[in-house]
Amino acid sequence: MPHTELMVGNKAVAYGAKLARVQVISAYPITPQTTIVQYLAEFIANGEMKAKFIEVESELSAMVAVQGASFAGARVFTATSGPGLFFMHHPMMEGADLPVVMSVVHRSNKSMQPDHTDLMAQRDNGWIQLYCEDNQEALDTALMSYKIAEDPRLSTPTVFGIDGYILSYTAEPVEIPDQSAVDEWLPPLKAPWAPDIHLPVQEWKKRQGRMYGNQKAWIDHDAKFRSSLGVIKEVHDDFKKTFGRGYGNGLIDEHNCDGAEAVIIAMGTIASTARVVIDDLRAEGKKVGLVKLKCYRPFPIDDIKALAKKYHAIGVIDRNVSLGGGGNVLNETRSAIYDMAERPKVLGFHTGMAGDEVTTGMIKRIAEKTLRAVTEPVSTAVEWVGGA
Amino acid sequence: MSKPSAFQRVEGEEIMAMGNSSCQGCGHATLARIAFKVLGKNTVYTSVPGCIWIALQGSIPLYWRGTVFEGGGALISGITNGLEAVGKDMIVVGFYGDGGTADIGLQAMSAAAERNENVLWICADNEAYMNTGGQRSGLTPKYASTTTTPVASESRGKKSNKKNVPFIMAAHNIPYVATASIAYPNDLIGKLEYAKGIKGFKYIHVQSPCPTGWGFDPARTIKVARLMVESGIWPLYEVTEGNNFKITYKPRELKPVREALSLQGRFRHLDDSEYEYIQGQAVDRWRQLLDIDGKKLPI
Repeated sequence: MPHTELMVGNKAVAYGAKLARVQVISAYPITPQTTIVQYLAEFIANGEMKAKFIEVESELSAMVAVQGASFAGARVFTATSGPGLFFMHHPMMEGADLPVVMSVVHRSNKSMQPDHTDLMAQRDNGWIQLYCEDNQEALDTALMSYKIAEDPRLSTPTVFGIDGYILSYTAEPVEIPDQSAVDEWLPPLKAPWAPDIHLPVQEWKKRQGRMYGNQKAWIDHDAKFRSSLGVIKEVHDDFKKTFGRGYGNGLIDEHNCDGAEAVIIAMGTIASTARVVIDDLRAEGKKVGLVKLKCYRPFPIDDIKALAKKYHAIGVIDRNVSLGGGGNVLNETRSAIYDMAERPKVLGFHTGMAGDEVTTGMIKRIAEKTLRAVTEPVSTAVEWVGGA
Repeated sequence: MSKPSAFQRVEGEEIMAMGNSSCQGCGHATLARIAFKVLGKNTVYTSVPGCIWIALQGSIPLYWRGTVFEGGGALISGITNGLEAVGKDMIVVGFYGDGGTADIGLQAMSAAAERNENVLWICADNEAYMNTGGQRSGLTPKYASTTTTPVASESRGKKSNKKNVPFIMAAHNIPYVATASIAYPNDLIGKLEYAKGIKGFKYIHVQSPCPTGWGFDPARTIKVARLMVESGIWPLYEVTEGNNFKITYKPRELKPVREALSLQGRFRHLDDSEYEYIQGQAVDRWRQLLDIDGKKLPI
């Protein structure tokens, strides 16, 4: 029987890797990720988990080591935070053909507290990016990540993020599925690309997923990567059917949007706070809903377009900034709907940067301004909320 | 019938295909041909950017993976652990150049050695970043002219000495460290066979002269390699079981370094005092090695 335990986000992530029967782990300590690998080292040390742990000397080596193990045919896991993630950039770019799964515990570049600038700086790598709002979602997303990454149509690395401190060190009740149920849902990795002495090398070479060469290689890679949106939805539906929990359609989650005229888009733990705010506003009769963006890469363009058809204003909350370029989610949302004949207004809000607290009051102001934009012109389309 | 060559005496299948993308007279091709024949087919080999990646690409029909320049030590660690995790017993070997070993790759290599990963590391040392056009590396010897240490009115070539990586590796107390040269195939084959037979981190540092970068006639690669050994510039030795040091080839008498260096365009500018410096260094090194021959290195 599945059972529920009170656990911090980092432990939920570690449980996810354990339940997935990861075979090789490699990671380097960095706050606030460190305890994930400490939990895993403990599971291995006390015999609860059978996996090899490569104790590397850097994040870069952690990434290359799990890529090597994945190439050899093993199911792998690594984890890091902000600066460690930046150090992984080079091999992340290089090894985008292997189904490595990583957890990122978001850490800002300006404090040890979270914002999403760390993971968004890796947006062009060809890694599927999923964001989590609570500890249960962290565990569930870990499991889904393996099924997505290892899908034979994809074999694409997948990273999921949890907000540092807010989730990593905060205990919440988490339901742990039965190992047998997970085993049935997530069978061992099949790795046709792995070295095999019984396979003629010419045949093996055909199975290599590396996409190297000319512009055609980029075109093919982009097409394959975009196709992962369908796989993510499929895997999510399957997960929901099997374990009874779901997160919207796996890409976005519309919360209390029925009859809404405007919506706000939020990611990670801000979405969690926003649920409360939106429920209160709806109770007051204000027609504004919440859309949680779970999948940032590939960007779910069709889902965003569908929102644009239904709602007259969209307020995008970015817990990130592309310095000199604006909010990443704002820019991509606007870009996604630009070709539509009738477009809603799209407003942008930067908030919660460097882990600054995002209060219900702040989200309320954001939601109300977005709703106001349905009927009246707003003076500033993009603003920073808080931090003054 | 003529005597079989050292290479012919190696049992096993020839693995390297005819033709490869290295320069004419490249020592790497010789090294790879010998090494793969000894290692055999049950081998996964890996590369990081460098001449040896290019030299092997397409001519070694075995399981292969390349990674980022700085990642060699982590890649072979990942592969050997991954193979073990899925129950496969294969030889994992890295063929890395001087950058991938001594400079950008040193950190990950040192860590893999410290963990005593079950891999074979072959440093194909051509003493500069030849793949990018002959820039100096940490393994370029003093006074060598390279494209980033050109000889001109204000410069006498590279300012500092070659990094002693075999001894750095010996300081890791790993099961096997050796130097080798493509001009001594028997010695090289013996070292490869020994390394193949033991578990843990094995490091073989092979000097592989580069006609293009060193500036000599491509027909003379082996001759240059041999003179580097016979002059004591590149001594052949091994360290077994962590710290047993042994010289594996002792020339009856060291040849003057001038004989080896005068063949190489990169040393064409050397004056007498510079020759003297290199000569003195070679003799000192040789004496020091003789002193510790057959003895244990400090742990």
